Amino acid sequence: MAYSKKVVDHYENPRNVGTLDKEDESVGTGLVGAPACGDVMRLQIRVNPETEVVEEAKFKTFGCGSAIASSSLVTEWVKGKTIDEAMALENSQIVEELNLPPVKIHCSVLAEDAIKSAIADFRKKQAARKGETGPAEGESANSAE
Amino acid sequence: MDPFATLGLPRRYELDRGELEARYRELQKALHPDRHAGASASQRRMSLARAVEVNDAYRALKDDLRRAEALLSLYGGKAEPEGGAADPEFLMEVMELRESLGDAKAAGDLARVRQLADKVEAMRGAARTTLVERFGDGAADPEPVALAEASALVSRLKYFKRFLDEVSVIEEEALG
Repeated sequence: MAYSKKVVDHYENPRNVGTLDKEDESVGTGLVGAPACGDVMRLQIRVNPETEVVEEAKFKTFGCGSAIASSSLVTEWVKGKTIDEAMALENSQIVEELNLPPVKIHCSVLAEDAIKSAIADFRKKQAARKGETGPAEGESANSAE
Repeated sequence: MDPFATLGLPRRYELDRGELEARYRELQKALHPDRHAGASASQRRMSLARAVEVNDAYRALKDDLRRAEALLSLYGGKAEPEGGAADPEFLMEVMELRESLGDAKAAGDLARVRQLADKVEAMRGAARTTLVERFGDGAADPEPVALAEASALVSRLKYFKRFLDEVSVIEEEALG
């Protein structure tokens, strides 16, 4: 099966390969796997907590060309977007852009899962941070009898 | 199709390779076209179809991963869905192993590649041992809990296979 030109381009010149510090509060990490084929994909975003804009995106994927191209494309797309905009991303857009054949659609699903899980991780961190510095008084009032 | 029934073997994950080979050869011989030269066309077609079935069953059972998948589908176990929710810690471990393998490959450190492969082979061995228990001895269907665990273990086998396939490529390339 031949890969489309765009897949080959992303595969040979992957954008944004790398790692961000997953302990950093402004970094969201999404780690997903495809049990059907044993691929693993990690996608990370650094988000400005004030504007919620994705300032940096990195990925590392061990998998086929389509999985690498899908994650590479997603990192390009989400940069400069707000996390709400990034959350709206759908795998069908990846399929269309990369011209993925039906047997490779699961690669785009994986990339969608990865970005959504990275955003969820970032939101969880932010919520935890707000929880720490947030309305502690209200909580203690609730727990008091 | 039940490859265990086709070959007349007990439905369990542990495999007696000698028994598998013996049953396969026996059936192959019985179904060989030469033995059915005088039979009617429809009988010959039937024995040919059966020979194909026996071949498929043999290949499915011989392979440790395919045998596990066959058991899972016979018991109606579902393959794990894609994504990260299933087992984040395991995925993280796989990711780290793949990164270490990539580093070792880049550094041309074949001893390290082998060391990582040994580690993954040991993990695979442990997963297979647990699978033998979860699938049971074939006398009764596994409990749903055991089946769910088996399903997760089958997924792990696929990640291990992917890793070890990569090791094979690296080691073969190194041999030139």
